Amino acid sequence: MRLEIDWTRCAGHGLCAALLPQAIGRDDWGYPILDRARLDRLPAADLKRVVSCCPALALRLEKSRLEKPRPEKLRPEKPRSEKAPQPR
Amino acid sequence: MTAVLTNTVPVGYVGAPRLMRTLDADLTGHLAGHGTLPALSRDALLALLDAAPLAGRGGAGFPLATKIRALGRGEPIVVVNGAEGEPVSAKDRALLSRVPHLVLDGAQLLATAVGGRRVLVAVSDPGLLGPLKQALAERPDAGVRFELRTVPDRFVAGEARALVSALNGGSAVPPGRRVLPTDRGVDGRPTLLGNTETLAQLAVLARTGRAGFGSTGTPAEPGTTLLTVTGAVASPGVLEVPLGTPLGTVAQAVGAEPAQTVVVGGYHGAWLRPAPTLPISRAGLTAAGGTLGAGVLIFVGRQTCALAELTRVAHWLAGESAKQCGPCSFGLPALAAELARLTAGRAAKRELLRTANQLPGRGACAHPDGAVRFLRSGLALLTEEAQLHGAYGSCRRTDLGQLATTRTGWR
Repeated sequence: MRLEIDWTRCAGHGLCAALLPQAIGRDDWGYPILDRARLDRLPAADLKRVVSCCPALALRLEKSRLEKPRPEKLRPEKPRSEKAPQPR
Repeated sequence: MTAVLTNTVPVGYVGAPRLMRTLDADLTGHLAGHGTLPALSRDALLALLDAAPLAGRGGAGFPLATKIRALGRGEPIVVVNGAEGEPVSAKDRALLSRVPHLVLDGAQLLATAVGGRRVLVAVSDPGLLGPLKQALAERPDAGVRFELRTVPDRFVAGEARALVSALNGGSAVPPGRRVLPTDRGVDGRPTLLGNTETLAQLAVLARTGRAGFGSTGTPAEPGTTLLTVTGAVASPGVLEVPLGTPLGTVAQAVGAEPAQTVVVGGYHGAWLRPAPTLPISRAGLTAAGGTLGAGVLIFVGRQTCALAELTRVAHWLAGESAKQCGPCSFGLPALAAELARLTAGRAAKRELLRTANQLPGRGACAHPDGAVRFLRSGLALLTEEAQLHGAYGSCRRTDLGQLATTRTGWR
C-alpha cells in the first residue's frame, strides 16, 4: 500500500503530520513531506487512519505505484491486429 | 481573441529540409513534394516505430510506440497537441500554419492504424484556425473526422492531462489524480495525444521507411528535429536541423552573437555553456546536463544581465502555476522573491536552494519540477554573476529581455 497525496486537494491542515510525526514532516508552507522509507515500515492500520483523518480528503492508499509506470508493462500486449478494429 | 502573426514565423533549415520541404503548399503541392500517404495497419506502424523510434517532440520525449501499446479498449480518439504554451516556442505554429497537410497526414495515419475515427486538433493560437480550415477543406474524405478546438494559451495547458481536461470542457489544468489519457481521455475514451511535430515526423517516416528516415541524424536518433532559436541572434526563427547537428552550426545559421550561456529545452529546460561542438540531440543535450525538450534554444549574449533574465523568468514561472497545489503556488513565488533578493545582492544562494529542494515531486503535474530544474541549472552556471551581484548588487549590465516571457507575434 502506498500513501498518495492529491495535491490539488491538500490545504496543508497538517493533521497527517501530527498523527504520524515519525514519517510525515511539513514544508515551509505547512504542506506534508512524506518520508517514503519510514512510511513503508508503518502498519497498514496507521496509514488507513491517517487517510480517514484528512479534513480535505486529499490522502488515499494505492495498491501499486501508477504515476510513473513503465507503460510497456502496463498491460499485456493484446493480439488485436487479427481482429478488425471494434466498431462502437 | 488577439490577433497573432502566425504566418510570419520565419522558417529555415540546416541540410535538406524534410518537414519544411513544401512550405505554404496546397494539397496538390504537398503530395507532389512528399508523395501519397500510405495506410498502415497497427502492426505495420508498430514495426516501423520499433525500427525507427519516434520520441515525442512535445518536451517529454515519450516514445510514440509506447503510447500506442498502452491504449485501452474501445475506439480511440487521436489528439493533435498544438497547445504550444512555451512563450518562445513557435515550431508547432510554424508547422500548423505552413505545412498543415503534413501534420494532418500524421494524425490521419495514426487514427486509421489504431482504429480511430475522430481526430481533435487542439491549438492555443486562434490564428491557426484559418490555415487549418483551408487545409481541411482541400482534403478528400479518408474516413477520419477532424475537429478543430482552441484551448487557453497558458504554459500548463499543453500538458497532456490538462489538455484532455480542457477538451472535456473543464479548465486547462492537470487533474489531481493520475489518470492516463490512453485509458480514459477525451469523452472518457482511450486517447492518443501526439505533439504537432511528432505527427509531422510520423507522416514523413511512413513515406520514407526506416532506411530513408535514417539518411540523416544519428544512428540512435534518426531524422531531423525542429528548433525555435532566439535570443542574441541576428535571425531568430524555427530551424529544421538533422539530429546531432553541432551547436556551432546552429549558431552560425542564425547569426548568433558570442554567447555567455545557452538555454536549451525552454523554461523547464536547462542552462549550458555554449560549446560549439555540443550535439543537438536528445542524448547529446542530456549528456551535457540539459534536455532537448520541445526544441527551444536561446542564446544569451554577453551584454545582458543573465541573472536578471533568470529572475524575470522565475517570476513568470510562478505566475504560470495553475495555483492548484500548495508547494507550487507558494514555493515558486517564494523562490522568485529569493532570486530577486540574490540579484540585488541581499541574499545567499544556500537559502534559495533550501527552498528549491522542497518543491520537486510535490504537485499534480511536473511544473514545479521543471521550474526548479531550470532555476537550479541557471544558478549553477551563473556563479560569477552571482558573486558580482553579491559584492556590488549589480554586474553593471541590464536585462535585455533575451529570454522572452511574453509572446508578441511569435517572439
